[in-house]
Amino acid sequence: MSDFRALRAKIAAIETSGRPDAGVLPFGDARIDGCLPGGGLPLGRWHEVCADGMETETAAAPTAFTALMAAPLARQGEVVWVLRRDDLWAPGLAGLGFPAERLIQVCARDEAEALSVMEDALATVGVAAVVGEVEACDLTAGRRLQLACEKRRATGFVIHRRPYGGAAKRDATGSAAATRWRVSSAPSEPSAGEFGLGAPRFSVALERCRGGRTGAWLLEAAQAYDSGAYDLEMTDVAHPLRLVADLGDRQLAPAQPIRLAG
Amino acid sequence: MALAPELVTAEAEPEADAAALAALADWCVRFSPAVAIDAPDGLFLDVTGVDHLWGGEPALLADFRKRLAANGLPFRCAIADTPGAAWALAHYGEAHFGKESAIAPPGGQGELLSPLRPAALRFDQATWAQVERLGIRQVGQLLSIPRGPFARRFGRAAMTRVDQALGRETEALTFRRPPSAWFARLAFAEPISAPEDMARVAHDVAAQLCARLDAKGLGARRFEILFHRVDGQAAPVEVGLALPGRDAARIGKLFAPKLEAIDPGFGIEVVTITAEGVEPISGRQARLDAGRETTVEEGLAPLVDRLMNRLGEDRVWRAQPVESHVPELAVGRAKPLSSPLAKSSARDSQEARPWNPATPRPARLFRRPEPVDMVLAITPDDPPSQFRWRGQTHRVRRAEGPERIGEEWWKGAIEDADVGHVRDYYRVEDANGGRFWLFRAGLYGDPDVPPKWWLHGVFG
Repeated sequence: MSDFRALRAKIAAIETSGRPDAGVLPFGDARIDGCLPGGGLPLGRWHEVCADGMETETAAAPTAFTALMAAPLARQGEVVWVLRRDDLWAPGLAGLGFPAERLIQVCARDEAEALSVMEDALATVGVAAVVGEVEACDLTAGRRLQLACEKRRATGFVIHRRPYGGAAKRDATGSAAATRWRVSSAPSEPSAGEFGLGAPRFSVALERCRGGRTGAWLLEAAQAYDSGAYDLEMTDVAHPLRLVADLGDRQLAPAQPIRLAG
Repeated sequence: MALAPELVTAEAEPEADAAALAALADWCVRFSPAVAIDAPDGLFLDVTGVDHLWGGEPALLADFRKRLAANGLPFRCAIADTPGAAWALAHYGEAHFGKESAIAPPGGQGELLSPLRPAALRFDQATWAQVERLGIRQVGQLLSIPRGPFARRFGRAAMTRVDQALGRETEALTFRRPPSAWFARLAFAEPISAPEDMARVAHDVAAQLCARLDAKGLGARRFEILFHRVDGQAAPVEVGLALPGRDAARIGKLFAPKLEAIDPGFGIEVVTITAEGVEPISGRQARLDAGRETTVEEGLAPLVDRLMNRLGEDRVWRAQPVESHVPELAVGRAKPLSSPLAKSSARDSQEARPWNPATPRPARLFRRPEPVDMVLAITPDDPPSQFRWRGQTHRVRRAEGPERIGEEWWKGAIEDADVGHVRDYYRVEDANGGRFWLFRAGLYGDPDVPPKWWLHGVFG
């Protein structure tokens, strides 16, 4: 057993290239944190965020989800958002609780440029997180992103988005990313006696996770559109995403038992 | 024509002359950063503090003469303490100095000017006629007249001209490019043309200038390198920094990708660099590797510089609130390193208030609203219960609104303003959870022109 543990530590050391661990960002709920290695979203790595259907082009739900995940990191430094199409709207991010004054937007001209800008930004002092919108990220590009992340222990997010219409390319099967999330909007539930829409909800599937387990959850941005403005000076705050329900089993198993013909 | 049949005539072309003079002025930048055009046929070069690069004024003038002669330009030139004296010596000094160019020793221009004709003092027509009428043939005679009677007889303007020539009054020249003290120059024994050589000299000349900036505790925001080709053309390359800096290695790296566009022709013999936007900076920036000690701006500045110089200045920005309730006008673009919209600056009355986080706004706003059709909505103000966008029908499950946003009628002509120019925004959620920002343009009322529905953004 001790051999096994030593082997694990050895592999972990190889995977992080011998650099010290950058820590994790816990969601604050054991049902999610239990699936992630180290008990939270690994920092100093990069993460993939995908979507389905029309969202591969508009990327609305992945954008909101990524902004919510990056919001706690924005307290530590700047966030660079690399775009292909400049339709990211800062007032919307501010409403979700993302500090827009920490956001630097960069509009790249093509895919390769977007990836190289991401790499450049990840290796910069003072940048806490980098979000990039790219169509696909192959193994080489992914490995380069990982090396850039390790330089300053910044965290990367790659939103798979087809910038100008059409269906998204097939996701590359292998990837150097620490996690891959598939996000879509979910119907909101306004609290009793209230009209209109409730806090934004997302159904989120953790499809790949290095050193962890997969899962699926229903998350809610509980503090979105809250007039009590976020305070950058505050340090000990809850993760902006709150777990509402565990979707894992329901999605993986078919709702109705398959009846065999015959 | 009858007297001199071999005379060649040509049309006067003042515009072409002016263009040629401007080109010559640009070329002269290799000798001095401060060149002023003296229309129609003269140039002033401020060589203060530059002549030592050639090893003294005579050597500078000799080189200048040699290069002008090589280009086949007829010329006369002179160096003096003041523009007025230099002008006089260049225009009227030939009778006394012959073909040799005149160099007035410091403070000695009065002596040299004395034997010249009074026209050398750049008088206007009336003064010149007066001087002629009095039979004055030499500047020296004029200078011997006491100031009081001189001003009474010839006017203030003439007095000013004399004072300017003798250095008793300063003369403001309109330099083609503002004189910059932050100027460095490298000349090569052999013309260079290899790209790697150009990158190296760009770094070397930047290092020269940066060493001087460093000694004074200053940094600059813009650097311009001019590559002077053998054939007299000069190719400029410019880089900008988001924060003033003086790190030669960094500046050289910013120049490197831009040098590919430079055509060296038959070779480049001189490189000059000028710094603009020079201001004091803290001495810490020189060491970027200091890790923990660098502040956020110092780490970010090189990144922003690289991105801005590579992608273009309009492709890197920070969103800035603009006081407007029209959604597409509510976000402005600020420089990435401009003072962030911190809480303290928001209180300042000059700054726009930040966006209200309590009003839901979409994370993606389309640059142009997209039309939606098949909209089912109860008039006049109910949210739609169904709409079709990009060929997909969405059934609305929950909705919020309307939020009425009117046009900014005070910005246009008053005749164009209309109460019907309003948009009613609705936040709707379809059965799958997709959240959209729809608006109806206009009001119900006119049966012939029903209001149109648009999708302006998506929330996610």
